[in-house]
Amino acid sequence: MQSKKLGWLLLSPTLFILGLFGIFPFIYVVWVSFHEWNPFAANPEKLFNWAENYRKVVFDAQFLASLGVTLAFVFFAVVSEVVIGYLLAQAFMKNFPGKSFFRTIHTLPLIMAPIIVGSIWKLMTTPSIGIIPNLLDTWFGIDLNIGQSALAAFSITVIMDIWHWTPLVTLSLIAALVSLPSDPFEQAQIDGANKRQVFWHITLPMIRPALIATVFIRLMDAMRTVDEVLMLTGGGPGSATRYVGVHIYKEVFPRTNYGYGSAISVIVLYLSIVICWLLYVSLIAPRNKKG
Amino acid sequence: MFMRHKGGLTALAIALMTSALPAHADFWSDAGAKYKGVVLHGVTESSPPSAYIKDVLAPEFEAKTGIKVEIETTSWDQMYDKAIKDMEAGTGIYDMVYIEQDIIYAYLQRNFLVNMTKALAEKPELKAATYDESHFTTFANYFKNGDGDLFGVPMEAFIKVYLYRTDLFNDPAIQAAFKEKTGKDLKPATTHEDYTAIADFFTEYGKANGLDLWGSTAQAHTGHPASWYEFFESIAPTFGVYNWGIDANNNYAASVANGGTMNSDKAKEALKWWLHLRDIAPPESPQSTWTETATTFAAGRVAQGLIYGENAAWIASDASKSKVVGMVGTALPPLSDGVMADAESGKGYIGYYDGGAFGLPASSKNQEAALLFLQYIGQDEVQPGWAAAAPRITNTATYDAQEVKDMNAQLGGYYDMLRDQGKLFAGAPPYPFHAQVREATAPIFYDILTGKIGPDEGLDAMAAKAEEELTSLGYRK
Repeated sequence: MQSKKLGWLLLSPTLFILGLFGIFPFIYVVWVSFHEWNPFAANPEKLFNWAENYRKVVFDAQFLASLGVTLAFVFFAVVSEVVIGYLLAQAFMKNFPGKSFFRTIHTLPLIMAPIIVGSIWKLMTTPSIGIIPNLLDTWFGIDLNIGQSALAAFSITVIMDIWHWTPLVTLSLIAALVSLPSDPFEQAQIDGANKRQVFWHITLPMIRPALIATVFIRLMDAMRTVDEVLMLTGGGPGSATRYVGVHIYKEVFPRTNYGYGSAISVIVLYLSIVICWLLYVSLIAPRNKKG
Repeated sequence: MFMRHKGGLTALAIALMTSALPAHADFWSDAGAKYKGVVLHGVTESSPPSAYIKDVLAPEFEAKTGIKVEIETTSWDQMYDKAIKDMEAGTGIYDMVYIEQDIIYAYLQRNFLVNMTKALAEKPELKAATYDESHFTTFANYFKNGDGDLFGVPMEAFIKVYLYRTDLFNDPAIQAAFKEKTGKDLKPATTHEDYTAIADFFTEYGKANGLDLWGSTAQAHTGHPASWYEFFESIAPTFGVYNWGIDANNNYAASVANGGTMNSDKAKEALKWWLHLRDIAPPESPQSTWTETATTFAAGRVAQGLIYGENAAWIASDASKSKVVGMVGTALPPLSDGVMADAESGKGYIGYYDGGAFGLPASSKNQEAALLFLQYIGQDEVQPGWAAAAPRITNTATYDAQEVKDMNAQLGGYYDMLRDQGKLFAGAPPYPFHAQVREATAPIFYDILTGKIGPDEGLDAMAAKAEEELTSLGYRK
């Protein structure tokens, strides 16, 4: 009994902080999402409007377009990060001269604030001063202008995200690979398995939990990308990179459409949970059942 | 010998007088004594005038009063985000907030700001003798309520000016080539046709001569509201479309069908004119906001352009940042027929008179100390140095200061224009729904810029969207 009380006592600071900064704001956002509230409207008060905001979201062409480009962004960014991250993790498992140096350098983007990443990429992609358009023009005669080309802007935001977050995937997978027991690999070698067979039948199943956890983290992060894209393209050209995070930002902050913006936030949270659940069900649950 | 005695006696007399006088330093140290140790927090847009407050005026004030002032300079949208959230929630983080002219109406509607005139009248012990509201230029009127009470100390005011390269415009070879091509003399344009002819000429000239030179700037970002503002505040008015094409006296109508002008023929003509300029502008233009157009001009990449006056000083005088020092001329923007007459009669205006003030949030917990600082930055004596560092004038006396006259010469008469013709320009219309209408219509505007939708149908859609938003906000019945 005594130890139970002590446990709660020790947990209480964490619970307090979690409640204050996690649970309470979430409940507040859900509450606001059932209101029409724009402080710069003729009537600046919060007006309860039931589920009207949620009804509007479903028919909001701008939001749906935004959701579409976000899903494309998430797909290309996360898949690329996982593939590149795995290859890099495998490379860092081997010994080569300067390995520590390269591992450190490769991790540096992780410690940068997204707004700085956006600024750096803006400088690198601005025609006239940016190194990327200059090199593409000099080497291949390609005229890169992310202020004009929707495809170029979308691609650059994906590449920027890959540059920023692949190190996280690499680090997670290095941790997973390091912890693998050597016996199954030795056994496979004795049995004459080739590299492909080793990867599909031993490595991948054994790192699956770490891989799935990393994908979940990256997927949820990519779904709510705001800062770096806002800095790089502002959501443009047109709506080409107006990802849901950027859309919510513009709806809630400059437009001060607090009620509707909150409803979109809740919907996006729900979608993230659904996507993660689908991934879990399709990749983890069947194996657990078999086990 | 006598002289030496006389000098000694004078020194003695001064010493005696000094010691006999009561320990009275000056108003600032006396008034500030009560608040010594207080730390004031301000948030403002990162701009040359704000940098001067942060780097020069705040430390000066602290040295005189013992009140520390921490000024946070950040991007325009972040500044609003932080200030509005603080005032909305009443948290009192900020004791001073930057109020751009276009948001004052929204802030007043929400009672976010302290009435400075009233506050100083109620607390005469805080009133500095060197601060006088009547010394402000007429730009201060934008920050007053119906009773003439001031809600912010004007800290920057400038016009969006037509800058051109004097070295190019005065080059005899270029003048001859221009005359040969157009049959006209090369001089700052007064009409849109002339401006286009000059822009076309220089873009072709740059291409033909292998120069990084184009005919005009274009603040045409395809995802940032700077492009929206350039069109509605600087371009459309020169074609006779005022107040964003919204008629506040006619139930906030925006569409022609309902009595507005947002999608009028003039607006459509203006947009097509500007889109052509964007097409012949430097390649960075689709990514340019207000800062980047200035940078483009300073890099010597354009022959002419509409540039916010806050950047004019460093473009014209700071060789560490600008390649066109001593090569900058100023002129009024090119206009359609009838626009100047509209401006002179007060019916319209020829361009954007931008600026802002420092206001005191009602949520501030250090209102008295903040009142002192706001008066400090509003005094006549701090203005000349400030105006020389950043081309802003908010007090009438500033025009006569020698450093301002010197800078005026370097800027090709910009301050003369501000003083004499500033009345022809206007700030943003007095709407409390700026960001809301802008953000509702901006996605369509960006689609026009990317060519996804044509300018005519785009403006029609924007007018309809503006009316829809105004109805939703409850302003349009």
